[in-house]
Amino acid sequence: MFQNIRDIILANRFYVVQTTSIKFSQESARTFYQEHKNKFFYHRLVSFMTSGSVDVHILAREDAVTAWRVLMGPTKVYQAQFSDPNTIRGSYGISDTRNATHGSDSPESAAREIALLFPTFDLHVWSQYQEPSFRAGKVELCLNTFVHKLLDTARTIKN
Amino acid sequence: MKTAVNTSILTKICIRHYGKRARQSVPKEHHHLPIFQYPTSSDTDQRVYVWGLAEHGALGNQRQLLRQKKPQHYVSYPKRLHFAEQNRVLDAACGYGFSVFSLDTKEHYKVFGTGLNTDSQIGYHAPRKGNPLSVILAPVPIELPFKTPSQTRVTRVAAGRAHLMVLTDKEGVFTLGNNAYGQCGRRIVEGENYFGNQVVHRIPDVDGASVKTIVCGQDHSLIVSDKGEVFAFGWGADGQTGLGHFGTEWRPSRVVGDVQGENIVKVACAADCVLALSEKGEVFGWGNTEYGQLNNEQQVNSALNLPNCRGLGKIRDIAAGGTLCMVLNEDGEVFVWGYGILGVGPQVDHLKEPTRVPRTLFGWNEYQPDTRVKSVTCGLSHSAAVTNHGDLFTWGRNRGGCLGLGHTKDQFFPLRVAIGARVKKVSFGVDHSLAVCQPHV
Repeated sequence: MFQNIRDIILANRFYVVQTTSIKFSQESARTFYQEHKNKFFYHRLVSFMTSGSVDVHILAREDAVTAWRVLMGPTKVYQAQFSDPNTIRGSYGISDTRNATHGSDSPESAAREIALLFPTFDLHVWSQYQEPSFRAGKVELCLNTFVHKLLDTARTIKN
Repeated sequence: MKTAVNTSILTKICIRHYGKRARQSVPKEHHHLPIFQYPTSSDTDQRVYVWGLAEHGALGNQRQLLRQKKPQHYVSYPKRLHFAEQNRVLDAACGYGFSVFSLDTKEHYKVFGTGLNTDSQIGYHAPRKGNPLSVILAPVPIELPFKTPSQTRVTRVAAGRAHLMVLTDKEGVFTLGNNAYGQCGRRIVEGENYFGNQVVHRIPDVDGASVKTIVCGQDHSLIVSDKGEVFAFGWGADGQTGLGHFGTEWRPSRVVGDVQGENIVKVACAADCVLALSEKGEVFGWGNTEYGQLNNEQQVNSALNLPNCRGLGKIRDIAAGGTLCMVLNEDGEVFVWGYGILGVGPQVDHLKEPTRVPRTLFGWNEYQPDTRVKSVTCGLSHSAAVTNHGDLFTWGRNRGGCLGLGHTKDQFFPLRVAIGARVKKVSFGVDHSLAVCQPHV
């Protein structure tokens, strides 16, 4: 299943900037989902996310937030499997909570979530030095780490 | 002239000869003639059919499939399982991407599993030391610590998303696999790695009473004791443990609410919504009710006597899917409600009140007026009914071909599955299914 989702990511021309596998602590999961604090499913979501490890990727693409949300499909899997059966959640989710994937809902929340999950990653530095190469397509996928690396690092820094 | 006389004598002799033989054979040898008997099956013979998604190996027939020119990703019609021809299968269950079979044997290995093993839900299998397998393509024996293997029988198996429960007649319940929510009935260990884990937990009894039956939700477990009490443990964030709170609980604890004091005979659960049936024929429910299955709230954390099942007669069987519920009354009538493909119309329905599925859809007609539905089962978004003739009818979301109808399109009304045997039990996983059957002749 993980491999299938990775294939979908690549087939839809997403670049993978960073990849990691983490296990949420109670505290970080609460911070991560603080916007849902008053919803009835908040406790369920937090306890689900802290139950095991998750794969986290920073994906890059033109209009990436919208494109990824379209690819994921609606949050509720039980409805998505009938309304959007070809989306990731429609085909791989099990239930409304176990819905396979998460995606940021705006560039601002993406920045917040990246800062929380990748403390060593500096978005500002990346957009200054590496983003032009990603836009130009001068990157290649490293299959072992599932991350796109710059083709010619030395040249990019000089630019 | 001479010749003619000779001929008549010859004829006479011949007639006498044949007549003598016939007379001799009738009285004595007739009863001793061998009668050729075509081979027939005995009552104990079992067949197992499997179908659905084959990629994760849960069908256990990957070797059969590999022999074909193109390896199949899914099998959309029931296929007979070779493993069950060589062994006597007592019970079988489907989890999320894995299947488990319990055998009628006095050997040490009584339970076999195949499919996904990422949380050691079908045991520790390492062909090379220190390199456990995460996917297994054919049934392998599961190591369980029986005290007296020759006298113990495994009567029932139940499988969740990533854990397994094994019920024995003398040694209680064995659990293995993922315990992140305490669904194995043992203390939750923070940061425990479930891949390549060799821990098997034993639950000898529940509050002094022996275990009658076991059921697994996706991430929680339910036990019905001999006294008819329900015990639950595991994930309770939707109230699916029915303990009066939304926390996780690893100790098998008594379900609170309307079930207390009732003699519960059956519990049904596929995901997070639980139904229970009492001996009197009343239906109780708890857990997730976001689609209005139990009441108008989102979650119910203690058992509720369902008011909308009261006018349906005495209920004989129950089934609960992810978003839909189904009951069967003593007249063999099937009622459905909830959200999804309910089998009562050509669209995705959302019904609050139990609605009868016409009996003609289950094979009743004027030439077969004795046809009755005998049992009902639900997967996450698909359903099944078995009639007294052993016919299996399925409908709902056809994920990975798990309905066994020969295609992968959704099915909006009950349709008979082409199985060449009498179906006794059907078990639904998330995207694959199996049926334990008895041969017709």
